[in-house]
Amino acid sequence: MKWATRARVHVDRAACAWLIHRFHDPEAEFVFVDDPADVPPDATAFDMRGVPLSHHQGRCTFETALLQFDLTGDPALEEIGHIVHEADLADDTFDAPVAAGLDVLIRGLSLTSDTDDETLALTHRLFDGLYEHIHRQILSGRPPA
Amino acid sequence: MSDVADTEDWVLLAYRLPREPSTPRSTVWRKLKRLGVAQLGDGLVALPADARTREALEWIAEEVLEHHGEATVWLGRPADAAARAAIRERMSAAVAAEYDAVTTEATASRDSDAATRRRVAARLRRELHRIHARDFFDSMQCEAALRAVDDLAAPLTDRALT
Repeated sequence: MKWATRARVHVDRAACAWLIHRFHDPEAEFVFVDDPADVPPDATAFDMRGVPLSHHQGRCTFETALLQFDLTGDPALEEIGHIVHEADLADDTFDAPVAAGLDVLIRGLSLTSDTDDETLALTHRLFDGLYEHIHRQILSGRPPA
Repeated sequence: MSDVADTEDWVLLAYRLPREPSTPRSTVWRKLKRLGVAQLGDGLVALPADARTREALEWIAEEVLEHHGEATVWLGRPADAAARAAIRERMSAAVAAEYDAVTTEATASRDSDAATRRRVAARLRRELHRIHARDFFDSMQCEAALRAVDDLAAPLTDRALT
């Protein structure tokens, strides 16, 4: 499937692209647009104003995606949802000290990447690592050494 | 946070929410306050424009619409310099007062036991991060607050003699 979002991705869009790619649509193809009017007709838009897969009821787009893709049963993804929420919105809904660091890292990666595809290649690895770390922590009850 | 301080462009949110239920109204207002908006009138707020402040107000506009309100986001600049200076001054004063409150609290905890000092310092540092995010004009009071909290967190032996 084709997915479209705003160009110059930041934490919420990077997290959503990772979630789509790893948990929902392994064949996902991403398009980045400057203008909402440029979203291709065959693409599903996300993290843009006025589309279903976006911020709703105080949730960030990643949290909306967990609901839409029926992925709320995975506690590691739920925890990543809290981190992305705080990195994106910083409204203190959740206690997620990792959020501040993730925000800075992804901003830095997007500054040093030439294209959004290049940024996403790096952030996919970042979220793979974050997921693995949280997953193991949940299994063992303590942070992996 | 000062990269926007000298730009002329502002992003404005004009919004109206139904009086009832009152929860969305207070949620939206809490979020706007956290962003450090200047309130220009009833249902009209502004921030110095950059990609981040613009996106933040756009998401809040969406939230207002979801609660059956009306909201539009605008880009603009004050037509007269005096008005612009007055708004900047009001925003700076609000942030300065927040920094001063941190300085006062850090100073007041100086003589507590080590565990209390560290706990208060950790909380005040989180508070400083939040204040810094809405410090658009490089408040002079930031430095003193940072120093007071660093001093509170330092072991007694490292403390600057005063």
